[in-house]
Amino acid sequence: MEKKTVVAEKSAPAQALLESVELELLRAPALAPLSPLPLEVLVPEARQQTPAVGQRATRPDGRLHGLGQTKFIDDFYLPGMLFAKIKRAGVASARIVSIDTKEAEAMPGVVAVLTGAEIPCNSFGPSLKDQPVLADTRVFHAGDGVAAVAAVTEQIAAEAIEKIKVEYEMLTPVLDPLESLKLETPGLHAPNPNIYGHKVIKKGDIAKGFAESDHIFERTFRTQMVEHVPLEPHASVATWDANGRVTIYSTLGRITLGRSDVARTLGIPMSRVRMISTIVGGNFGGKNEITTEPVVALLSKKTGRPVKCLFTRPDEFISSTTRHPLIMDYKTGVSKEGKILARQIRLVLDGGAYCSWSETTLGKACILSAGPYNIENLYAEAFVVYTNKTMTGAMRGFGAPQVCFAYESQMDDIATALKIDPMEIRLLNAFTNGSLSPTGQTLHSVVVKETLIQAAQRFGWNGAPS
Amino acid sequence: MAKVTITVNGEARTVSVPPETTLLKLLREHLNLTGAKLGCDVGDCGACTVIVNGKSVNSCLMLASQVDGFDVLTIEGLATTDQLHPLQTAFEEKGSLQCGFCGPGVIMSAKALLDEEPDPSVERIRDALAGNLCRCTGYSKMIEAVQAVANSVNSHPSVKSA
Amino acid sequence: MKRRGRGIACMWYPIGFTASANPSAAVVKVNEDGTATLLTGTVETGQGSLTVLAQIAAQALGIATDDVHVVSADTDTTPMDTGAIASRTTYVTGNAVMLAAENAKKILFEVAAPLLGVEPAHLEAKDHKIQVKGFPQRNMHIGDVAEHARGVKGTPPIGSATFNPAVLKLDPETGQGKPFATYVYATQIAEVDVDDETGEVEVLRIVASHDCGAPINPMLVEGQVEGGISMGVGFALQEEMLFDSSGRLINPNLTNYIMPTSLDMPSVEVDIVDSYDETGPFGAKGVGEPTCVSTAAAILNAIHNAVGVRVTSLPATAEKVFAAIQAKRAQEAKLVTAG
Repeated sequence: MEKKTVVAEKSAPAQALLESVELELLRAPALAPLSPLPLEVLVPEARQQTPAVGQRATRPDGRLHGLGQTKFIDDFYLPGMLFAKIKRAGVASARIVSIDTKEAEAMPGVVAVLTGAEIPCNSFGPSLKDQPVLADTRVFHAGDGVAAVAAVTEQIAAEAIEKIKVEYEMLTPVLDPLESLKLETPGLHAPNPNIYGHKVIKKGDIAKGFAESDHIFERTFRTQMVEHVPLEPHASVATWDANGRVTIYSTLGRITLGRSDVARTLGIPMSRVRMISTIVGGNFGGKNEITTEPVVALLSKKTGRPVKCLFTRPDEFISSTTRHPLIMDYKTGVSKEGKILARQIRLVLDGGAYCSWSETTLGKACILSAGPYNIENLYAEAFVVYTNKTMTGAMRGFGAPQVCFAYESQMDDIATALKIDPMEIRLLNAFTNGSLSPTGQTLHSVVVKETLIQAAQRFGWNGAPS
Repeated sequence: MAKVTITVNGEARTVSVPPETTLLKLLREHLNLTGAKLGCDVGDCGACTVIVNGKSVNSCLMLASQVDGFDVLTIEGLATTDQLHPLQTAFEEKGSLQCGFCGPGVIMSAKALLDEEPDPSVERIRDALAGNLCRCTGYSKMIEAVQAVANSVNSHPSVKSA
Repeated sequence: MKRRGRGIACMWYPIGFTASANPSAAVVKVNEDGTATLLTGTVETGQGSLTVLAQIAAQALGIATDDVHVVSADTDTTPMDTGAIASRTTYVTGNAVMLAAENAKKILFEVAAPLLGVEPAHLEAKDHKIQVKGFPQRNMHIGDVAEHARGVKGTPPIGSATFNPAVLKLDPETGQGKPFATYVYATQIAEVDVDDETGEVEVLRIVASHDCGAPINPMLVEGQVEGGISMGVGFALQEEMLFDSSGRLINPNLTNYIMPTSLDMPSVEVDIVDSYDETGPFGAKGVGEPTCVSTAAAILNAIHNAVGVRVTSLPATAEKVFAAIQAKRAQEAKLVTAG
């Protein structure tokens, strides 16, 4: 009731006001669901067996999915709930001169507007805290959020963000990671250096290894930026109680760290934050960081009403994390029998606008870059640099699919040149139990050869060992 | 406001909605049938698939007023209080769904196919599901589940999909 | 003309975070009827991890998967967990769940031991019973023991535990150390048809042989592998976020960003290799991420095998493959002329 008064104070035309109230009332589902619910159905056999481990047990959530009964975040409706939309910068690199929200605020049905300046602690990130919740002074990529609106309907919120005027001082974006890598490129993310992560793995003596090699193979490989595409877009709902405690329903895959990030950005104790993830509609690494959570929490606090925000599919592409593109230089020395004697690798990771999970990706890519092979002389070096593109972060494999493409392509190049069967060259070099990894770790439960042989037999690879 | 009368899962309902309301919004927000999901809102992903007058459609691409007087079947209309639909049982038993967000849409597409063609080839199943994106499963176990239902319908003519 | 090719790719992949703490905690409560409730802070994001964790708890208590109800993903009610990331749930959270269930079981054994006239060390939990090892006829139903523990002894069978993988920091100069507790391994073999007049690639078949330690639930492992392969097919051939010169994404939608549909997927055959890791819960390691690691490499090697060109940047679109074929033909023509 109170909020209707607020809208009226803005002297909205009476007709528009009535319309918005009517719309809002219609959002509340007035009718009982039209679905009978089976309450007693057979429990599949495998779920009733002991011992439980090794059974092809079905999933209780799988049944609910197939019935349309799983409650994803967008399936929640809380009474009085408002809908938030986030305005995206649309420019890749700029200084924010001003943000004018007056026209949006005056729209009938708009209840609150939020900008970065209002966020108690406007930064987050799993290692470097270099990402704002909403950009307030500087835009680092086109998907940066610059303001958010809460309105009685999603439609009104979407119209309202179009009315927000942001004045930018445009800067030249840096899009090429190799350009960013060069020291003369001005700091994209000052005071942070362009190269914000670096890793080296050294083992043996590569100069000696290359000198002893009969053949040396060199090639550069590149991979692209990829989106996770979870079918369920990022979403969250926040609601406060009168004790100053906020409950956030979220699509996050990591609520323990999500809660601490939310508490930090909101500047409130963790004991006042309850974070609940129901069933999440796909993650693949893309739902490991807060996105809309602080925004809905603050809009909910401003309005005293529950607030929901759902990413649009374009939001999902431009403002959630993505897979790191890599530029990978491989130099490998082998004996005439095909034994790898030395390998030198340089990886450049396009880190996008913010650090996110780049340090983990950098580390895993570098450690895994030599492949599952015994190589006594190794030098692998990896860099991650800022560019003014969508931030890259955790994605299924953390750099491993990229380096696997490089090391396995080169393995076949070697096999082709030396006229060795691709299966044989891998069996010749593969790790076994007790092999030392590139970081000097003694490996246990190693089954590389077993996977090779089993796959070859199943495939019908000529000359597969039996 | 537009007045729309539809039969949903066998029951008639009349709802007054703003003219821009899609069938998906009508179902989710006005009828509390949240089984059909919003994944893209432009007809690319198929998470919102329902059956209108026997044909599978992307409900995000239809306006509510376009279905006035039509018969709409949603995922919620497949099971009865006594039993699951054979497709729901097969999808559960084969582990065909992982995150499940695409599941209701996939099952509705599969149902529309089996209603029209009780014994489809694998190619026909792949065709019928081509408009339903899934990021988790690689579609393998979905195709297996649809095949299993097709086979059981054929071997037991008394078991008809609802 | 369509040319057929086949390609192999192997990979290795670690479980858990890199040289840093990533603990999980769990609470297991055994109910008075012999069912149990598991509290975990991890989140089900589609993998089936809650089912796998229920199976682990059930295994430790000698009950069935369906007897375990899992409460998850609520910071008010569930213990800390690093979350659904880094292929860590089965191994790290699974170990915490196993240890928590064993702690609850310890209480059951202490209560049952005097009733069965043996020391707790001589008991085992099997088929819903607490029984004397070697003498299964001397047993009590686990529910009766749990009821006795709560209602008579006043010691409700609740166990909690944490687990953090054993890792060592890496030397900053040389990168030497033990960044991960364990690794998994896999090989995938792809068979493709490449149209040498258009560069179009069709993936016909992928054989995937994966190590996940001992599989807790083979059906869910297969699901992970099949799904990972579809992501790998998209990475190999289709998917790419494209930016214009001003840094704006050109294809921020599923109309222009192409990912695999049911029509793009090859026939997939999954094998789980025999493997057992002493450090994992009931021998398990993990399976989530590694499934998508070697697919693109195998497909690109198959393209090379089919038409003799090495595409060095992903995705290998028809345009790129065709350009490589033309470049190779031009090179060969030059050699012929020169020869």
